[in-house]
Amino acid sequence: MKKIALSTVFLGLVAAFPATAHYGMIIPSDPMVSQEDGRSVALTMSFSHPFELDGMTLDTPASFNVTHEGETTDLLGTLQNARIMDEAGFTLDYPLDRPGTYIFSMEPKPYWEPAEDAFIIHYTKTYVTAYGDDEGWDTELGLKTEIVPLSKPFGLWERNVFQGIVKLDGEAVPYAEVEVEYFNETGATAPDDLMITQTVKADANGVFTYAAPSDGWWGFAALNTADYTLPQDGEDKAVELGAVIWVRFEAWTGQ
Amino acid sequence: MRRVLVLAAVCAAVPVAAAAHKLNVFASADCEAVTVEASFSGGRKAKSGDVKVMDGDNVMIKTLSLQNDGTARIPLESVDHSGGLLIVVDTGGHDNYWILTPEDIARQCGS
Repeated sequence: MKKIALSTVFLGLVAAFPATAHYGMIIPSDPMVSQEDGRSVALTMSFSHPFELDGMTLDTPASFNVTHEGETTDLLGTLQNARIMDEAGFTLDYPLDRPGTYIFSMEPKPYWEPAEDAFIIHYTKTYVTAYGDDEGWDTELGLKTEIVPLSKPFGLWERNVFQGIVKLDGEAVPYAEVEVEYFNETGATAPDDLMITQTVKADANGVFTYAAPSDGWWGFAALNTADYTLPQDGEDKAVELGAVIWVRFEAWTGQ
Repeated sequence: MRRVLVLAAVCAAVPVAAAAHKLNVFASADCEAVTVEASFSGGRKAKSGDVKVMDGDNVMIKTLSLQNDGTARIPLESVDHSGGLLIVVDTGGHDNYWILTPEDIARQCGS
């Protein structure tokens, strides 16, 4: 009996710590903005465990840009402070002046994660198309590390597959590990912690494939270790580089 | 209110096929003219087509042709744009529209 009680206490302690992945997040109000929807998109930027809606502090990023028709614009100075999942984050209402695909990207400052004894930098992006014009949906931004979409990263039905190429320094990463997590706005539960963050591996060409089981926002994070370290407490620490893309799947409307 | 009526009328009156090779229509204004742009999915410019311009009451006020670069220019002084403009482009096999609201014109002219 005593042994069981101790076990229960232990489990309670363990359960207090999310067993899931960190994600940089850029979530638009709508990934496909039509002229009837208005002339702007609202963006929410955060750092979290998205399945558990467990927020962490997102400091002012090192950069925040939008790329449209081959031109990249610095938006860092336009971010508005906000509380996202009870932690510091940012919002932005961005005018969509012309049709086409707008790619919002963020490079956070290195996040020190004591539990992993490493820094985390998640290069995060998402794609928004305006006014029915999807030109530019496969744009590669040239980030330090990046998932380049092979599937159009919007306008996907639930249960479609999403495919992308994992790149690091512009080169495909063979057999890269990609973590997948659902932004749990609907109260989904997982029968096991292993179901919160799923993992797929890319093939020899760095191409990975995932089929989302439901509509909603899904985050894909390809993780690699940087070839440099950063100092912490007088020691050199590893840096996890994440290439994160957020993709929305839409509910199937057929019978 | 007038614009709301126009939007509702357009949504009901203009059946738009969102299929492969669909036509995308966009219009923007400066303080002198409206520029209409028509292109097919994939980015190819529409080479020809009819441009119909309607006012805020959905009354046809002007027709013109697309230029071969997929654009058309409508001088603002040539149309009553106080209630916004509904611009329909018809290339024969495909059509689509753009609604330029009074707010669009005021904002773009001011920018």
